[in-house]
Amino acid sequence: MTTTSPPILCFEGVTKRFPGVMALDGVTFDVAPGECHALMGENGAGKSTLGKIVAGVLRPDGGVLRLDGRAIRFRTPSDAAAAGISIVHQELAFCPNLSIAENLFLSRLPSRRGWVRWRDMQQQARGMLARVGLEVDPRIPIERLSTAQEQLVQIAEAVGRGARIIVMDEPTSSLSQVESQRLFEIIADLRSRGVTILYVSHRMDEVLRLCDRITVLRDGQHVRTRRASETTTDEIVQLMIGRPIGECFPAHKAEPRGAVRLDVQHLTAAGRFEDVTLTIHGGEIVGLAGLVGAGRSELARAIFGIDRFDRGAIRVDGRPVTIRSPRDAIDLGIGLLPEDRKRQGLVLSMTCRENVSLAMLPTLSRGGWLNQRRERGMAGELFGQLRVKAPHADTPTASLSGGNQQKVALAKWLARRCPILILDEPTRGVDVGAKAEIHALIDRLAAEGRAVLLISSELPELLHLSTRIVVLAGGRIVGEVARGAASQDVVMRLMAGIASERLN
Amino acid sequence: MLDIFRAKETGLLAVVVLLGGLLAVFGGSVTIKQRDPATGRVTGQVEVNKFLQRANFDNILKSCSWTAVMAVGATVLIIAGGIDLSVGSIYCLAAVSGAMLLRAFGPTGPWDGASAVWGGIAGVLLTIGVGLACGIANGLMVVLLRVHPFIITLGTMSIFRGIAFVTTRAQAITDYPPAFGEFFRYSAGDLTIVPIVIVVLVVAAGHLFLRHTVPGRQVHAIGGNETASLFSGLPVGRIKVLVFGLGGLAAGIAAVISIGVFGAADSSTGRGYELDVIAAAVVGGASLSGGRGSAIGALLGALVIQLIANGIVILEIDQNYTEIIKGAVIIAAVVLDRMSATLGERRMLRP
Repeated sequence: MTTTSPPILCFEGVTKRFPGVMALDGVTFDVAPGECHALMGENGAGKSTLGKIVAGVLRPDGGVLRLDGRAIRFRTPSDAAAAGISIVHQELAFCPNLSIAENLFLSRLPSRRGWVRWRDMQQQARGMLARVGLEVDPRIPIERLSTAQEQLVQIAEAVGRGARIIVMDEPTSSLSQVESQRLFEIIADLRSRGVTILYVSHRMDEVLRLCDRITVLRDGQHVRTRRASETTTDEIVQLMIGRPIGECFPAHKAEPRGAVRLDVQHLTAAGRFEDVTLTIHGGEIVGLAGLVGAGRSELARAIFGIDRFDRGAIRVDGRPVTIRSPRDAIDLGIGLLPEDRKRQGLVLSMTCRENVSLAMLPTLSRGGWLNQRRERGMAGELFGQLRVKAPHADTPTASLSGGNQQKVALAKWLARRCPILILDEPTRGVDVGAKAEIHALIDRLAAEGRAVLLISSELPELLHLSTRIVVLAGGRIVGEVARGAASQDVVMRLMAGIASERLN
Repeated sequence: MLDIFRAKETGLLAVVVLLGGLLAVFGGSVTIKQRDPATGRVTGQVEVNKFLQRANFDNILKSCSWTAVMAVGATVLIIAGGIDLSVGSIYCLAAVSGAMLLRAFGPTGPWDGASAVWGGIAGVLLTIGVGLACGIANGLMVVLLRVHPFIITLGTMSIFRGIAFVTTRAQAITDYPPAFGEFFRYSAGDLTIVPIVIVVLVVAAGHLFLRHTVPGRQVHAIGGNETASLFSGLPVGRIKVLVFGLGGLAAGIAAVISIGVFGAADSSTGRGYELDVIAAAVVGGASLSGGRGSAIGALLGALVIQLIANGIVILEIDQNYTEIIKGAVIIAAVVLDRMSATLGERRMLRP
C-alpha cells in the first residue's frame, strides 16, 4: 500500500451467509479516502453483497467494518446514510409515483408544524439536480424518467445528503455508451470534491479507466487488490474466473448468406421509430446499435407483435405477413429474447422445464393433455446442449444465476425451433464465463442458418458477433457498417452524432 | 414415493389429522340410545366418542362439500392471478334459478306430471349453466374492460345477488319433486353419499386440469408472470375467461349440492361464502400473488375450516367466538405455510 492517509473504510474478515451459500467469507481489504475503488467478480462472487453491507442494506454475520478506524455496525440504510454512506443501484430505489423532489427529500421533507413546504423543497431539489447536470422539472414523477436519469437522481440524493462514500452497484449495466460517459464525468467531479467511490461492475474497460484500485472477489473470498495502472484486463479476468481464458469473444468465422428470412420495410411508429428498413438473411447476425431510447427495443417489440406500428410492412421468408400479437410472431417462427429477463423472459415461479416448454405446449400435447415425458426429454436435452448449470431441469428458475436464467429463456425459442431470433441485450447482468458461452451459442445459432437480430448496448459484443451493424438514432437508421469496416469509433460516432444534434 | 412426503399438501393433511386427533381426545363422549330397527323401541345405550361418530363425520363432510367445490374453482382462479368475490352471489343466483325450474316440476308446479328424472336433470343443468355463464361474464368483463378482477367481481357480487332478489321477489323457492331431495340426501352407512362423490370428482378434475393439461400449465404461467406469458405467445385473455368460467362452474356445482341437500333456496343463500371459499383456497396453499396452489390443498383447506367450526361445537366453546377463532386460524395457517415454504426453498438451494 502506498496510500499515505489512513484508510476511510476497512473490511476485516467480513462474512455473510445466505441459506446454502457463503456469500462472503472473511473478506479483508481497505479503501483509501477519495479513491475510486472497484469491486469485481463473477455473478455470485459477493461483490453486490459487500456493497450492500457497506450501505447498511445487509448486516454481516461476522467480521468488522471500520469507518475512519472506528468499528461500525449499521442496522438500516438510514444508519449508513447518517454516517455519510449512500448506495446507487438499479433496483427500485424510489417511489416511482412520487415526484423527483419528493423522492429526493423522502426521509426529511422540509416542513413547518407538520405541513410540507413544497416551494422550498422544489427549489432545493432544482439545485441538487443541477449539481449532477440533470435539467428536468423536479415536479415530474420518477416513473417518467429514463434509467439513466433516475440514476442521476440517486446520485443527486447522495450528494445532497453530504455522502462521503458512494457505493455504485452496476451503474452502467443499462446505460448506453454516451450516458455512461456522462456518468464517468460526474464520478470524476465527485472525486475532485473528495468523495470516495466503491464501484461494483462487470465491465473491464470502464473499471480500468475509472478506478484507482481493483479488488477482485471470487466465491465470496477476497482474491487480490490491484492498482488499476499496474494490471491488465487479462489478469483481472483470470483472477475473477480463477483460470486463464482464451478469446472472450469467438470471432464469427463463417459468412453464410442464405435467403432473406426477415424483411422489414419502412416500418414507422409515431414517436418511437421512423421508416426503418432492415433485412436479415439466414445465417446472419445483424447487430442493432443505438443509445437507450433510440428505438431499438421498440422496434423489436413491434416486429414481435407486442406494440402496434402505423405504417410499413413485414415479410417473413418472402411472404407478406400480419403480426398482431406475439402468438402470430411465434407461429411465423420468430422468437424474442426480451431485454428484461425477470419481468418479460421468464416465469420465475416455475421450474426450468416449464419455462423451456412454455411457448410450445400445444405441440407437446394431444387433446389438451400434456405429454410430460416428452417435455422432460426435450428440456433435458436442451439443458445438456446449453450447459445450464443447475442440478436438473426441474430446478426452480428463480434459484439460477443470471447467465443460466438467460440460457433457459433462450432455450424456450430453441425448443420451438424458431428460425428467426431477436435477442435484446442477451448478456445483460451475466457474468464473464456465462457471457462467453452465450456468445458462442449465438454464433452457433447463426451458423446453423438462423437469422439473428442482436440488440446490445455493449459495442465490443456487437462488433465481435455481428455480420453487419445497423445504427439507430432518434428512431431512424443513421448508418450501416459492414463487418470489416466496423470499429468502436465509427459506430460510436454514428450513434452519438445524431444524439448531440438532438440535444441542441 | 418420497414425493408424497415432500408434497405441499402433506403438511396440511397432517394438520387435518392432528385437529381430528385433538377433537377425538378432548371432545369427550356422548350417550346414544340404541333402538331396535324394526320396532323403534329403545333397547339399550352406548357411549360414543363425540367426534369419532359417523353422524359427526357426515355432518363435517356434508357441510364443507360446497365450500370445497367452490374452493377448487377459486384455487384455479387464484393461481392465474385472479380473484372472484362474487362466488357467493353466483352460487345464490345459480341455486335460485335451478330451484325455480325444479319447482315447476314439483307438486305445486305446472309440470307436476312430467318425469321427475328429466325435471331433476334439467334443474341440475340449469343451475350449473347459470354458474358457468356468470363466471364467463366476469371473465369477459375483466379482459375486455381491463379492470382489476377485484373491482369487477365486487360489482357482480352485488349484481348477481340483486338479480336473484328481484326474480324471487325475496321469497324462498321450495317444493321440488320429492325424489330430487331424496337422491341428494341418500345416505349409506350414515354418510350422505352424493355430495361426497361430487366433491371427490371435482377435486380430481381440478387436480388433473392443473397438473396435466395445457391450459392448466398456462394458468400457472399467467399467474406467475403475465408479461412473460404474453411474450411467450400464450392466449392470456382466453385463459383468463376460462378460469373465471371454471370459478363460476364450480359455484354452479356447489349450488346443485346446496339445493339438493337443503331443498330450498332464496336470495340470501350463500351470503358471505366468498370469504370462506377464498380462505379455504388460501389455507390450502394458494398464493394470492399467483402461480401457486393445488386442488387437493383446496379440499384440505375447506376441511380445516370446517373442523374448526365443528371443534367449537364439540368442545362446547361459546358459539359467539366462532368467527374470531376462524379468522385467527386462517391467518396462522397462511403464516405457517409461508414459513415452511421458505424452509423448503432453503433446503432446495443447499448445494
